Amino acid sequence: MADHLLEVKDLSTYFFTHAGVVKAVNGVSFTLDRNETIGIVGESGSGKTVAALSLMRLVPDPPGKVVEGSLMLGDRNLRTISDDEMRAVRGNDIAMIFQDPMTSLNPVMKIGKQIAEAVRLHQDKSKREAWQLAVDLLARVGIPDAAKRVDSYPFEFSGGMRQRAMIAMAISCNPDILIADEPTTALDVTIQAQIIEVVREMQAQFDSGVILITHDLGVIAEIADKVMVMYGGRTVEYGPVDEIFYNAHHPYTWGLLASLPRLDEVEKTRLTPIEGQPPDLLTLPSGCPFVGRCPYQRAPCRDDWPELEIVAEGHGVHCWIPVAERLPLRVELPHFKESVA
Amino acid sequence: MPQWDSTKPERDPYGSNLTQTPAVDARRTAEVVEGIVETGAKPLGLWADTWRRLKRNKMALVGLGIIIVFLSIGTVETIFYQAHWHVRSSADTRANNRLPGYLAPYDPNEVNYALTPVGIGAPPSWKHPFGTDFLGRDVLSRVLIATRIAMLVGIIAVAIAVTLGLLLGPISGYYGGAVDSVVMRIADIFFAFPYILFVLLIMSVLGAGFQNVFIAIGVLGWASFARIVRGQVLSVKSMEYVEAARAQGAADLRIIFRHVLPNSMAPVYVAVAMAIGGAIATEAALSYLGIGVQPPNSSWGLMISDSVEYLASGNWWWLLFPSLALVATVFGFISFGNGLRDATDPKLKE
Amino acid sequence: MTPYIIRRLLQLVLVLFGVTLITFSMLKLVPGDPAVALAGKGATNERIAFIRHQRGLDRPFYVQYYKYMGRLLHGDLGNSLYSGRPVKSLIWQAAPVTIQLAVAAVLIELLGIPLGVYSALRQYSFWDTTLTTAALIIWGIPVFVLGYFAMYIFGLKLNWLPIGGVGPTVLGIIPSSWESFKTLILPALTLGMIEVAYISYMQRASMLEVIRSDFIRTARAKGLSERQVIWGHGFKNAVIPVMTIAGIDLGALIGGAIITETVFNRPGIGQMIYLGINERDLAVIAGGVLFATFFFIFANLLVDLGYAWVDPRVRLGE
Repeated sequence: MADHLLEVKDLSTYFFTHAGVVKAVNGVSFTLDRNETIGIVGESGSGKTVAALSLMRLVPDPPGKVVEGSLMLGDRNLRTISDDEMRAVRGNDIAMIFQDPMTSLNPVMKIGKQIAEAVRLHQDKSKREAWQLAVDLLARVGIPDAAKRVDSYPFEFSGGMRQRAMIAMAISCNPDILIADEPTTALDVTIQAQIIEVVREMQAQFDSGVILITHDLGVIAEIADKVMVMYGGRTVEYGPVDEIFYNAHHPYTWGLLASLPRLDEVEKTRLTPIEGQPPDLLTLPSGCPFVGRCPYQRAPCRDDWPELEIVAEGHGVHCWIPVAERLPLRVELPHFKESVA
Repeated sequence: MPQWDSTKPERDPYGSNLTQTPAVDARRTAEVVEGIVETGAKPLGLWADTWRRLKRNKMALVGLGIIIVFLSIGTVETIFYQAHWHVRSSADTRANNRLPGYLAPYDPNEVNYALTPVGIGAPPSWKHPFGTDFLGRDVLSRVLIATRIAMLVGIIAVAIAVTLGLLLGPISGYYGGAVDSVVMRIADIFFAFPYILFVLLIMSVLGAGFQNVFIAIGVLGWASFARIVRGQVLSVKSMEYVEAARAQGAADLRIIFRHVLPNSMAPVYVAVAMAIGGAIATEAALSYLGIGVQPPNSSWGLMISDSVEYLASGNWWWLLFPSLALVATVFGFISFGNGLRDATDPKLKE
Repeated sequence: MTPYIIRRLLQLVLVLFGVTLITFSMLKLVPGDPAVALAGKGATNERIAFIRHQRGLDRPFYVQYYKYMGRLLHGDLGNSLYSGRPVKSLIWQAAPVTIQLAVAAVLIELLGIPLGVYSALRQYSFWDTTLTTAALIIWGIPVFVLGYFAMYIFGLKLNWLPIGGVGPTVLGIIPSSWESFKTLILPALTLGMIEVAYISYMQRASMLEVIRSDFIRTARAKGLSERQVIWGHGFKNAVIPVMTIAGIDLGALIGGAIITETVFNRPGIGQMIYLGINERDLAVIAGGVLFATFFFIFANLLVDLGYAWVDPRVRLGE
């Protein structure tokens, strides 16, 4: 009997292109339990989506390939099970919702049919039962007039409703894990909160684990239990959400936190972005990918990847700056001025 | 692993992705098909990038090679072709002691019965690599001369069409409203005719002959170009630099032709390449039907139609060589046009 | 859907007007005085003037156009200057021949759909490369070139198939005997081959585009088998634009088959127009072009409506 619902160890996914090898995901590890939400944070190109796709074995091959790592879903190793078994996992044990619900739904198929399709695939239900289930699901995710809406096409829904429909489709088979890839990025701010609420409710109903991928720390603060910060394909820091927000140890995390506008600031200060550009994934250094943008970089940073350092319970970081130096540096940053060091 | 694409991620001879047909689209399919040509507005500055992408597309490069070969032949012929359109007889040439006005092994119009004891012509031989036709004329020379006509038709007819299209299209797109409606309705009417019939109709009015072919194809072609450019203009005109120009007080026409148009040109180049191919094919068809180029001028289409009567007697070479030239040329332009489209498509993942 | 249909119909009326106007204008622009031609040789000026007046040729342009439209609406396309027969009956006689060819060619070209799909699914493979290269080359071959080659090889050299003409039919369209069918094979294949090349190319492109869409990824994420993903979700989306191309082709071939008909000596609309051009028989030319154009316009309309019916976004008014 496995300890965790999902255990990912040293996942590495590379893309072999004409221009070179892109190490989209490079040695990422995390665990997930029931009723737990892990937030994967990072910029575009940090590898978060590819990591999720790797879990589902949905990485386009060619040119992509999961080259290393163990993905244990309970007792099953997702890398080694057969294609048929994997298909039974997708949508059933692990479900995924995507960023843009408009393009992620088949435009010429009724919503109800798309949901019912998932149901009939994994559960032994008749067409009528599946359709009825679709209606129930739509109602459960908060779509009004579900019985009529089930016959609609995606374009007839608003953005928020489409995302709810996607969630309905994803939870239709009571998945153990729900992966939400930037579920709120394409939506209005007012709708975002609602969607997060729906995800939270569904999680409670099914005791599922949630992997929430986003670049929005606000959403993380709302709903995540633990956070994994990714940059350039690597995990630079991970830990419980409070630790990450109040006791972050990695300069990139500091940068992310610092770039959040704050309502409680007494003096007006400018927003502090992180200097520099996202890394070119073809020419990643063999050390820390954040080198070049890190204001505190030092000698070993470019060539050697720092080992994991546990700084608190369940909180680890990969950084060459010694702890003794880190804390004083951190205290200087605006974000941390008022918080406990 | 899902069975997506098979085998190796090697170089795709056609570029990494092909045309963009919108998966489901509510426009008329003619528009969808043209939409395939319309995608992507790439500013002129990115030619180096375009060339790099084009280079990966082997078919397009072959096409480009063919185009260059035929264009060169056509240019050379045109330079050596003296003065007027009409053909001077060989007697005239000899009488005036001038060099024949063609760069071809033989005078293409020199009828030489000596070579044709029974009036059918001789098959390919060392002296006449493409053989001779029923009047003893050297087929190779005639094919070369016809190249000139084909290139002229292609370029001039399309030039006319492009000019008209680039005048009406941007104006229509930029001003919108009534102007746009009127121009587009007229374009609709032009599109309503089956192309070849429309050309025939116009040729009936203008009369047969080579110059009229330019006019017919040119005048009919404006609608396609106008529509393509208009589409581009519509998407460009809402961009910020147009706002900026307007804010600076630039006159409308200036904005259109200095700012908007140059950035809308990428799909136009693609359309030009395809249109030249099409124009050459159309001219061939017209000449074949007898209302295009007239004898004694030679055109591939005309050569083909002449050869037909003699097919039964087994004279394959009169049919073969002009056909090869025609197919190669049209293929060249189409293939290059395709490659150009793929190379300028911003949606292409690399 | 209704507002769409209404808009489309309005546009249709406008286009029909424009087409007839242009055709009529072309007729008027042809050099030569029809009154002179009608009066015959050696007619006196008075006779010519008389005929001009009798035929209404001295009325202003818009009056003549109005009368012309009137006659058109009654189905009167005038009489052939050459034979004197009503153009309408010439068309009636020639149309089935052309329709037979058009239908056969379109049926053949639908084969391009599976070819395109197959090619897209096996992208970069040997078959894909070969098929796509072949498609590109064949697409560029003018019909008469392919026609004569086919005729030469299969008709003359191998003597398998007849090289021209048409045979007896049922309902005017379906060949009623094997011999009759044989006359259809070469022209239909010639026309069809070029179209197959085009369709398979387009279908491949459409399929490739669709396969890379987000909703295909979602379908896979649901756990559907590759076959269900490609055929249930992908194909349905990818085939729509291609079907409309086929539909439009059917309409276009009514007029556009002129070259094929000339090559294979089939007495269809195309050949009728061609003969009309040779004889400068304006009534026949105009009548034929108008008929073919109207057919094309209506085919386009049907295709658009069909498209709207299939694509829910258009049907339900996005």
